[in-house]
Amino acid sequence: MTQQNENLSAFVDGEHDGQFNLSDVLNDSAMAGKWQRYHLMRDTLRKEMPSELNLDLSASIAAALELEPTILAPKRSWRDLPVVAQVVPFARQAGQLAVAASVAVAVIIGVQNYNQPEQQLQPYTSAPTFGVAGGMSPVSLEQTRVLPQENMMEQRRSINAYLTDHQQQMRLKTIQLQKQAEQQEKLELEQTSR
Amino acid sequence: MSKHLASTFFTLLTLLTGSVGEAFAQEETTTSSSDVTVNDTPAQSTALVTPEQWLEKMGNALSTLNFEASFVVLRPGLDSEPYLWRHGVMDDGTQVEQLNLLNGPGREAVRVGSKVSYFEPNVQPYTLASDTINGPLPDEFLANPMGMIDAYELVLVGKSRVSGRAAQQIRVVSKDRSRFGFNLWLDQDSGLILKLDMLDLKGQLLEQIQVTELDITDKPNPFFDRLMAASLPEKIDIAPVPDRPKRWAVGYLPEGMKEVKRDIHRLPITGNVVEYMLFSDGLVDVSVYLQNSDEVASDQDILVRHEANTLLIRKVDNLQVTVVGKVPPQTAVEIAASLHILEQP
Repeated sequence: MTQQNENLSAFVDGEHDGQFNLSDVLNDSAMAGKWQRYHLMRDTLRKEMPSELNLDLSASIAAALELEPTILAPKRSWRDLPVVAQVVPFARQAGQLAVAASVAVAVIIGVQNYNQPEQQLQPYTSAPTFGVAGGMSPVSLEQTRVLPQENMMEQRRSINAYLTDHQQQMRLKTIQLQKQAEQQEKLELEQTSR
Repeated sequence: MSKHLASTFFTLLTLLTGSVGEAFAQEETTTSSSDVTVNDTPAQSTALVTPEQWLEKMGNALSTLNFEASFVVLRPGLDSEPYLWRHGVMDDGTQVEQLNLLNGPGREAVRVGSKVSYFEPNVQPYTLASDTINGPLPDEFLANPMGMIDAYELVLVGKSRVSGRAAQQIRVVSKDRSRFGFNLWLDQDSGLILKLDMLDLKGQLLEQIQVTELDITDKPNPFFDRLMAASLPEKIDIAPVPDRPKRWAVGYLPEGMKEVKRDIHRLPITGNVVEYMLFSDGLVDVSVYLQNSDEVASDQDILVRHEANTLLIRKVDNLQVTVVGKVPPQTAVEIAASLHILEQP
């Protein structure tokens, strides 16, 4: 098994020596998970991560569908939808969550400080414990405060979740816009028919 | 010091000319509304006098021309992102579009008609029903340029040279100065977008999209022939959200911003359930979230910037309000502060 991992790692790095069998990955869901994580690690190490990640759109769509049973045609559950049915069980693996958590750190590095000139004017009562180069710094309009360190991971995850969701919502927006346009048309039709 | 004075003077000057130009432009829109039909004829299309006519030309060009553009997204202090952008109209009239991030492992989106497929690292490819590709360019604005007219004032600034082409500059400023401003350069010949600057309220650059090469062709790129034949990922069907009883509302919205949708869903990554509202002014989108604040309980506002996005998390009683979007922090704070729970009937 360890040898298999070794071979997979080498293959991801483009350094395999023919020992690696690609069909192992296809037939083994644990290996498939590793395949995904190894690629993610490689991209992170090479600083090739995209600035926004939409890791589990499928999972969030499925979750949304679960919460919205009324939007589906009667007698069909979201599990019957072809794509979702395939994607969801995989996305629900614990491994997916672990991947998402590790990504949060990588993405938030892009956060810049606000109001830097003002910040310098405000004396810190204690040395800032974070906000170092490339880090993230909470800034309110009125005051600057240092947040407890232990909350940082949790907050980064939370912030990353919001940013990712905002990005997803913008992609799904046109569905809603089309619906509004149709409603508008209906209204106008009703008005003209009266 | 003299440089500082000079720049202040320049700002004053631009402000002055800007406001005069705006007044002038508004007068023109009111008087020329009857002339628009006349100007629609191609023979007179070169004599565009209002920014609205230019936007109309851009909208037409983006949906009818076969073109291939390379552009770079620049954000101060961050790595630049080069993109390839192609658009074509097939023989049967189907619009096809491709947007490809060229650095790193890449990200690609292709559109065939009203289906957009996204191919991204670490995610299974998927297809959504949409008429636009969501990328660095404001897609709603490109698809429907006049949709933002309630929210922004437009000023024709002048002609200049961008990407080696003659370009018309248009300044876009929100009517109530509650959103970032834009400078837009359109190709004089075709009306295609050549450059887009997003500026904060002090006039500092937040994000720049610069076209480096633009080819307009008679035929769609051969890439699209292969694309039409290729099988794209299956479409994920998502029904529009049904209307629900409104339980909360925002008291303040920037001028021209409208509610697009409202639902309850789970956040990715954390899996928390949030009440959600999406607003749009035709150019930028703002998301407002409401969730129980038990986990990330901090009494302080958290205000961060990610690329050009502002993110504000504020705790109100036992709720956590979050505002995300490309708006100035002041606007995000005002929206969050104006949130209130509606009385149940």
